[in-house]
Amino acid sequence: MTQPLTIDRITAHYGTTKVLEDLSLSVAEGELVSLLGASGCGKTTTLRLVAGFLQPTAGAIRLGSKDLTRLPAHQRDIGLVFQNYALFPHLTVRENVAFGLKQRKVAGPERLKRADAMLDRVGLAHLADRLPAALSGGQKQRVALARALVIEPPLLMFDEPLSNLDAKLRIDMRVEIRQLQRANGTTALYVTHDQEEAFSISDRVAIMHQGRIMQLDTPEVLYQRPANAFVANFVGFENLIPLKVTARNGAEVTAITSEGAALTLSQDQLGPIPNAFTLATRPDGLQATTQGGAGLPAVLGLRTYLGRAYQYQARAGGLSLIANGPLSQPLDPRTAVTLVPNPEQCAILKPE
Amino acid sequence: MTTRIHPLLILFTLVVYVFLLGPLIIIFGASLSDTTYLTFPPQGLSFRWFQNIWDISAFRRTIVTSLQMAFLGTGIALVIGIPAAYALNRYRVALPAWLSTLFVLPILVPEIVIGFSLLRSVTVQAGVPVWYALLIGHTLLVIPYVIRVVSASLASFDFSIEEAAISLGSPPAKTFFTIVLPNIRSGVIAAFILSFITSINDVSVSLFLTGPGVSTLPIQLLAHMEQFFDPTIASVSVVLMLLTILVMIIVERTLGLAIVAK
Amino acid sequence: MKRLAGWMLASPATLAITFLLVIPVAITVGLSFGSPGQGDWGIVQPYADFFASGFRRNVLWRTFTVAGWVTVISLAAGLATAYVVARCPPWMKSTLIVLAVFPLLTGVVVRSFAWLVLLGREGMVNQILQATGLTDGPVAMLYTPGAVIVAMVYIFVPLMVLVLVGVLENIPEDLLQASSSLGAGPVASFFQITLPLAVPGLIVGAVLVFTASFTSYATPHLLGGTRQMMMGTFLQQRALVAFDWPGAAVVAAIMLAVIVATVLVMTRLARRLNPMAT
Repeated sequence: MTQPLTIDRITAHYGTTKVLEDLSLSVAEGELVSLLGASGCGKTTTLRLVAGFLQPTAGAIRLGSKDLTRLPAHQRDIGLVFQNYALFPHLTVRENVAFGLKQRKVAGPERLKRADAMLDRVGLAHLADRLPAALSGGQKQRVALARALVIEPPLLMFDEPLSNLDAKLRIDMRVEIRQLQRANGTTALYVTHDQEEAFSISDRVAIMHQGRIMQLDTPEVLYQRPANAFVANFVGFENLIPLKVTARNGAEVTAITSEGAALTLSQDQLGPIPNAFTLATRPDGLQATTQGGAGLPAVLGLRTYLGRAYQYQARAGGLSLIANGPLSQPLDPRTAVTLVPNPEQCAILKPE
Repeated sequence: MTTRIHPLLILFTLVVYVFLLGPLIIIFGASLSDTTYLTFPPQGLSFRWFQNIWDISAFRRTIVTSLQMAFLGTGIALVIGIPAAYALNRYRVALPAWLSTLFVLPILVPEIVIGFSLLRSVTVQAGVPVWYALLIGHTLLVIPYVIRVVSASLASFDFSIEEAAISLGSPPAKTFFTIVLPNIRSGVIAAFILSFITSINDVSVSLFLTGPGVSTLPIQLLAHMEQFFDPTIASVSVVLMLLTILVMIIVERTLGLAIVAK
Repeated sequence: MKRLAGWMLASPATLAITFLLVIPVAITVGLSFGSPGQGDWGIVQPYADFFASGFRRNVLWRTFTVAGWVTVISLAAGLATAYVVARCPPWMKSTLIVLAVFPLLTGVVVRSFAWLVLLGREGMVNQILQATGLTDGPVAMLYTPGAVIVAMVYIFVPLMVLVLVGVLENIPEDLLQASSSLGAGPVASFFQITLPLAVPGLIVGAVLVFTASFTSYATPHLLGGTRQMMMGTFLQQRALVAFDWPGAAVVAAIMLAVIVATVLVMTRLARRLNPMAT
């Protein structure tokens, strides 16, 4: 019943503006893939193309062996959960959930039975006769979920489903969504701008930027091994240090900055290192120390207090970097320090 | 939306639009006819029926009266209505709820009932001269439109801007003119246009308040139609249409440009 | 302080409407009642007289039926048109809206006059009917209820279209998308989602058209004449031709009562049927 989704080289325009270019993506049976990016990156456009609210100018969309590309939206059989819930305000909760079954000509008693069973699963059986206006945000979201699930679609799609909920509820709901999706084994496409949300519930995440997928991988790989500067920056590698290799000694590689400061890195920890590359680190992965040692000589700027550490603006040659330092030793601006990268918080970016 | 619309529905819409615009085109055509009776398509082409409007002194006089009523009535309604709309929005909590109901009464009460009642009270009992009674009627007619349209634009006005100006040392009355009014300009213009058009086309109120020597164009038009059925009526109608469009354009341009130029 | 400022600003409008509208209309309503000792019915004797007259009852009934038909036809035509207009691409939508506004800017006299020309013995409608052989001679169409209805529909459809385009555009797009994602085609979506959500707006439009056509004067005067008198023309005839002030006041009071009752009942109904509220 559940089907894999294939998006095959689609291009889309809004008027004359190209919003998606040659985008391909496949979601395996039962897999949950998130599209993650800032507004305007094309993630919602992609979802709307799959839903059939927009037409691609080139390319094809397939669900299993069925070609969806030219099919009207109401024949696509996709369960869709909207950002604003999009509950029908004039129908009761039960009628909302039964709406899709009614369109599928499921007989009345059977329809009610299935709607009620689904409401029971999302824990809202007691609210079945209410109108949506009488529900809280979280309850509305559950109804929207039940309404999308009850038609047993081969594909579920979520358009920023949690963005209107408060923080605590958001975490509960994403667990619930993941559980229901897992239990049904439904293929799912999930659109969000919230990194934590995407990473926490997805099998794989596609990070999008300007109508393209910058990297599609498991959350772990994205978080630890970003493939390019955009993704690195997106997942919090705020320091980008261009380096050139000067010497290789087994797994040990020595590389220098344009200013000539040398760093020694281990390929055992960081993977293969090309001759020219960029070292990306999070602020956590760059420690400011006055003890000297192997690292980048730098001068500190503004200090801010993070609770678990101090954070510093720092200048190393021509680079503006952000580094952390221990709470035991607050350092003043203009202190000369060495910035020591911690290999576990670093990634190697190949030249693009 | 990319949803398809059924072709029959599109055809129906087309028919509705032909129904809406066709008659106006016919009036336009009929006004240019060279015949002494109304006909369409026009036979021969002549502007003599437009000339005729000017030659009939009753039309000449009533055009002037209609313009006086529209400009003065709307002007007075703006002067009365804008402060009322401002008060309704700014001091909502301090004013009773029935006040906004009172302000829409002139729309709720049928115009023809207003006209009749004004005739009884203002013209007959109070003995107000016809011209002034007519002006009262026209002002009353458009006050609710002014209050409504200006209120709508004040509803989206952020009053903290006004407070900011006052906190910076601008006196409240001056602040209204320098800060509030420019920001609700489009609402005021819309109120003017709506009121002007309502006033210049009014029949039901004017019907009772016109009198010897003082009449408005639509009322004169009705009177003329009862005796003659010549293309003059069509040409007056065209003039009325053009006048309406002209006023809209002038107001948009002058008021618009004057405030932009500041 | 705030109270004072508010009242000062609102007082000119309040005084104008109170003294020039509320009181004169109240006087009219007062005038419509008789003196207590008069006739079998006391102070409501003038109303009893009104309803005792077959001619007057006919005028009232005709006004109800004409206004009713005008409302129903305008609603149907307006809804279909508004549905198409609301779904057009933006440039076409604004053109269509401007084209609907234009007739609204043109006066009622002018627009009624157009139908006087079209429906006359030598008018275009008769010419077409004869040219196509549908009728042999000219058909008398003026001074019939049909003529009044056609002209009034013509006058009120643009208003209805504008109101309903607004109503339809207020229905959130994602509800229609949700409906189609759940398998509802355009027709099913229209009847199950769009129409129920548009009901409060339809009521507002209907009230607008009904009250305006119930109280109109120029159109029934020109196209109905004295043979098809309606409440508006009857009021004018009583007041300005017969100089029967009390009789005119009764007509005015009945019109006022019908309008106020319609507005009150229907706006309450519209509020009750509005699911977006609660």
